Amino acid sequence: MITPDKPIAELKDVNHTFTMGLGQKLKVLKNIDFSLYPDEIVALLGPSGSGKSTCLRVLAGLLKPTDGEVFVDGKRLEGANPWVSMVFQSYALLPWLTVFENVALGLEPHGLSKAEVRTRVKRAIDLVGLEGFEEAYPKELSGGMKQRVGVARALVMERPIICLDEPFSALDVLSAETLRTEILNIWISKKTQTKSMVIVTHNITEAAWFAKRILVMGTNPGHIRVSIKNDLPYPRDERSSGFKSLVNNIHDVITQAIIPDTPEWVPPALAGTSIETLPQVHLNELIGLLEFIAARGGQGDSFAISKELGKDFGQVLFLAKAAELLDFVDTPKNAIVLTDFGKRFIQGDVNVRKRVLHEALKQLKLAQLLEQKLREADHFTLSIEVVLSYMHEWLPNENAQGVLDTLIQWGRYGELFGYNDDTKEIYLDVGQEHA
Amino acid sequence: MSIYRNIPQKRPFGWPDVLVLAGVSTMIYGLVGLAHHWTGSAQLYEPVNLSPASLPRYSFYSLMRAVTAYFLSLVFSLLYGYTAAKFKRAERIMIPMLDILQSIPVLGFLPGLVLGLVAVFPHSNVGLELACIIMIFTGQAWNMTFGFYTSLRSVPADLHEVSRIIRLSWFQKVKQIELPFSAISLAWNSLMSMAGGWFFLTVCESFTLGSKRFQLPGIGSYMATAIEAKDRRAMIYGVIAMCTIIIFVDFVIWRPVMAWVRKFQMEEIQGDIAELPFVTQFLRESWLIRRIKVIVKRWERRKQVGDPVAAPSTPMSSTERLTMEIRDRIRKQKIWKPEVLLRLTTPALIVISLWGGTRLWESIRTLTPHDWKVIWGSVGLTFVRVVIALAFGSFWAIPAGILIGLSPRLTRFFQPVIQIAASFPAPMLYPLVVGLLLRFGVGLHWGSALLMMLGAQWYILFNVLAGAMGITRDLKDSLTMIGTSRWTRWWKLYLPSAFPSMLTGWITASGGAWNASIVAEYMNYGGSTLIAPGIGSMISRATDAGNFPMLAGCLAAMVITVVGLNRTVWHWLNDLAETRFRFER
Repeated sequence: MITPDKPIAELKDVNHTFTMGLGQKLKVLKNIDFSLYPDEIVALLGPSGSGKSTCLRVLAGLLKPTDGEVFVDGKRLEGANPWVSMVFQSYALLPWLTVFENVALGLEPHGLSKAEVRTRVKRAIDLVGLEGFEEAYPKELSGGMKQRVGVARALVMERPIICLDEPFSALDVLSAETLRTEILNIWISKKTQTKSMVIVTHNITEAAWFAKRILVMGTNPGHIRVSIKNDLPYPRDERSSGFKSLVNNIHDVITQAIIPDTPEWVPPALAGTSIETLPQVHLNELIGLLEFIAARGGQGDSFAISKELGKDFGQVLFLAKAAELLDFVDTPKNAIVLTDFGKRFIQGDVNVRKRVLHEALKQLKLAQLLEQKLREADHFTLSIEVVLSYMHEWLPNENAQGVLDTLIQWGRYGELFGYNDDTKEIYLDVGQEHA
Repeated sequence: MSIYRNIPQKRPFGWPDVLVLAGVSTMIYGLVGLAHHWTGSAQLYEPVNLSPASLPRYSFYSLMRAVTAYFLSLVFSLLYGYTAAKFKRAERIMIPMLDILQSIPVLGFLPGLVLGLVAVFPHSNVGLELACIIMIFTGQAWNMTFGFYTSLRSVPADLHEVSRIIRLSWFQKVKQIELPFSAISLAWNSLMSMAGGWFFLTVCESFTLGSKRFQLPGIGSYMATAIEAKDRRAMIYGVIAMCTIIIFVDFVIWRPVMAWVRKFQMEEIQGDIAELPFVTQFLRESWLIRRIKVIVKRWERRKQVGDPVAAPSTPMSSTERLTMEIRDRIRKQKIWKPEVLLRLTTPALIVISLWGGTRLWESIRTLTPHDWKVIWGSVGLTFVRVVIALAFGSFWAIPAGILIGLSPRLTRFFQPVIQIAASFPAPMLYPLVVGLLLRFGVGLHWGSALLMMLGAQWYILFNVLAGAMGITRDLKDSLTMIGTSRWTRWWKLYLPSAFPSMLTGWITASGGAWNASIVAEYMNYGGSTLIAPGIGSMISRATDAGNFPMLAGCLAAMVITVVGLNRTVWHWLNDLAETRFRFER
């Protein structure tokens, strides 16, 4: 039974841990509590690695969480969720079936008569505007059209919930915008059985445009940071002041989450021993951001920068966080401001930059620890397996491989560490000391 | 708290070094023995000692033959593949010719090679050894050549352009671009080739030609002798020895090679760190090997210091370096070009083929229409057996391959096992299986189809597994969400997804089955000869009897059939797979 004030699906205290190769464990979801009500669209918004896709798969019953429970219509969920249909980023169409057959696949378990299948499939195909393409094969269609088939297949199943996993990420901007409007219109018109939708996205505007409720997710491990209500009436206008202030509001929330003005409180017992992790960003992109800021007089607003660079907002914030870690920028409120140290870095030529980064890395706790371990080793060299096991000790909750990749990348540029991919060994770059 | 148990350490001199030293000394001892055997007085039939104590020596001999043949194949593949890929005119002859060569079973090469080479070296074993090596070579070379040719053709256009802009000479281009680009395909095909070379080892090391018997000491002839003596215990020893060789080669050669070629991967592969193969890890732990590496590095450095150009005292800017390089290249204008070589070899090749063609024609002409009727009838019979072998192999291998491929855990365990099973030369198991078949009253007539399946099924399994591994998570999830039946899942997702690789498996398996017919349809088993009518047994019989016109006719019929099937049925299915069943990237 669906009643307006009772949740139709619930995640209760869900935790999930992946076991990777070599027995590594990675916690991806922490204490997720989330209820989906009838007649609402919820957006899961967050950077990559925040577990939003995992969350969606738990709701869909594709993934059994290591801990916690999922309820559908008040009953505990076992196996695939019978109330959910799903739209995938990669479309997930079968290339050997026509558009009609792909959509009809969604009705297969119902055991309907041929005529019934035909009418229902026709209706779904009409809804997404694919009339005339029934006999086409997916490879004859553009990306936008393929995703329409994906949507039609989800609609034809006539289930109360549709889960959309980054449905527009693989599309070009124009196709994405058209399809987005059409999906929303179908939902508003109530021509289908769909009550609620959950959409996973990393695009703030998309979330603000679709959702009645936006759950902002954080990383390491993935968790729900904050829930933002969005009561703007449909259809929404991106240029309206209400929309703009909402988007700004979301930006502030995310900024505070990633680069807080007041550092997170650390228990005194752990003070001095805590090791900061590295945001996994490419040094080239980091330098690009610094150059961009330097060219704008040494400071800028993080949201404006992300818009001008055409980059994902969360990604820009991670770059800013990395730069802050190296002391290259300060981040008061939403602004990113170059420090003198950062100016020295960005104004120098390659060799100056290398020297400055070398200095900066020497201040980094993680780099210090690794340097110390390398100094103690034979020939200042350690195999990557050994270093990885240290990483696990130092950062038990992190993706050690990813952090190490970043550290190696920075260390190579700063000529602090070297890495030989043939022998899989990390060694201390002693050239700088003698120079 | 460390989560890795096997952290390689830099040990001082220890047991890895002892093993390295022991390995090297065994190798030297074996090679000396081999040299002695080669240059020893000609002995065209060397009786084999069935005691298990002689197995290490026989295994070593066979391994050395296979390795030598492999290097021959490698050189051949590089030359042939390169020429075919580079010169349009050569390509038009060379690729169809390769198709034909590939479909000639080893017995087709046997009489010519043996009679010719034994006549050239009448006083030593060199002739017969060479003949044997070249016969193994004919089981190895072709697919490597095809693989190299295909990957040369698929070098991306921008790499060609880069090499033109920096003006690489053709040799530098081969070294810096084309070889590295083909490395992965060459390595995989090498692995397959080595397995292919083992297939006919029993035939290559021990055979009858006319009234003469030839035999070389080796694991193949050991098996042949054991079969003839119906000595079941010796057969099992032989199988165990062969397994040991294959596992040894897999661990010591192929795994490190495969790990090494990964660095030539064009696309970046993401994921966790790869596991180091056992041997690589082992060698890295050896103190001896590390010392040798250090010495080599020092020596290289010293060499560079002596050469002022190689080690400039101040770093040159890239433009300086480029101008220097260009100047250098202009100075050393290449006079010798591969085209010259081609122009010289083409007429020679044409003369040889014309001569061979006329000889073949003269030989075949003596066959009566009745002979031809028998030949084509036999081709038909063998064709039916090949179809049955493929069908029965597919019957279990397709579901098994999909089930394994869908589960990463099963894949990790089974893939290396299947690789080894596929490398095992099935004909060595034939006598054991035939013994069973006879006991159950199944004659060789249908039993030989089962024997052919024995080798062919692994190719299907291996390829289907790889295909099933490629099914994306989103596709599996989408069907789970719909809640489709298991039946739909298999027929609409798993089987069609695996179809292109299934086809590759079938093509390889059918080639193998045709070849295997020669040993599967004709067998000396404990003194009596079992014969199933078919083109394979016709070829074997013609060789045994020294009936060369018949042999030539049978071979021609088989080549025409196999090439014809490749060009029609397989070609058509391949087109279908490419257009309909391939996922877009």
